[in-house]
Amino acid sequence: MLIDAKHAFTQLSEDALITRVKSGDQNAYAALYELHVKRVYGLCLRLLADREHAEDATQEVFVQLWHKIASFEGQSQFSTWLHSVTSNIAISYLRKHKNWLQKVVSFEQSGMGEQSATDCQGLNGLDKLVLRLPERARMVFVLHAIEGYRHEEIATMLGMAVGSSKSQFHRARQLLKEWYENE
Amino acid sequence: MSKPNFETFLAESINNTESEITPQKDLWPGIEKALTHAPQAQGKAALWPKLAGVAACSVAALLTVQLLFSGSEPATSVVMSDYFTQQKQTLLVQYQNQPALTDNWQQQLTELEDAERAIKQALDNEPENPALLKMLAQVYQQQLDLINKVHAPKWQQI
Repeated sequence: MLIDAKHAFTQLSEDALITRVKSGDQNAYAALYELHVKRVYGLCLRLLADREHAEDATQEVFVQLWHKIASFEGQSQFSTWLHSVTSNIAISYLRKHKNWLQKVVSFEQSGMGEQSATDCQGLNGLDKLVLRLPERARMVFVLHAIEGYRHEEIATMLGMAVGSSKSQFHRARQLLKEWYENE
Repeated sequence: MSKPNFETFLAESINNTESEITPQKDLWPGIEKALTHAPQAQGKAALWPKLAGVAACSVAALLTVQLLFSGSEPATSVVMSDYFTQQKQTLLVQYQNQPALTDNWQQQLTELEDAERAIKQALDNEPENPALLKMLAQVYQQQLDLINKVHAPKWQQI
């Protein structure tokens, strides 16, 4: 009962915040940011495998969200909608930065270096391995295994065939298994 | 103690994965700054400056086509100049309280205005030269595009 009441209060509070944000209230938006920034950043970091890029993408998410929130009609959970917005922005961010990033490091060959990955605070054992995955395998794995998207949805988001999404997922699992067993 | 097999590790890790990770730096100041410089779009009213910009560019393009296909009267360049000058001033007034994305856009605008002056000087000698008229229209178009572009952040265009 207490949990239900608390949940209802949280929901009401978030709904109230969203209503105020829609009317242009930046203080309400700061509160909404506080509620969700850690989840948004977590998703950006897993998708982008780079702390600084994840920070940039997180900022971009919240700047864009300020303009997009008027289109949120409450037909789904706000957090679900926000995750969808975040995934799309992180993917778009990676596409925009890929060209010059590839000059520095071949993203398709490897994800974040092992040393850099271990520098990231707050990551569990699986996360540290995930960040070492090659870009496409990593994004498919994060979206499918962690975020729960279907391969059909991932294929659309990443602009690849459904079969490619499945094979990248298989590749990710194989690499994770190999790294885990050799640790 | 032996470590669990991979499948167990994977299942447990995914179930226990904390979706929340705390960023190492405070990201809000950067967001707040961006929001302060770009007020939230509220309905159709906020679209007017952009629509006006698009309309100006569209009319400019139509005018260019008309010039190229209908031949040019001696006063065409003057009419065109009057029209573009008016459009440019309208845009500059619309965006006067909105910060630009780059610091050197006015320098870029000055360079385009220099090009505009050079083409006009050439037109004084050949007022019906369609190539020069086309160049003049393009320079005007570039000026309008520049003003629109530096005042409309990318994330507003998505």
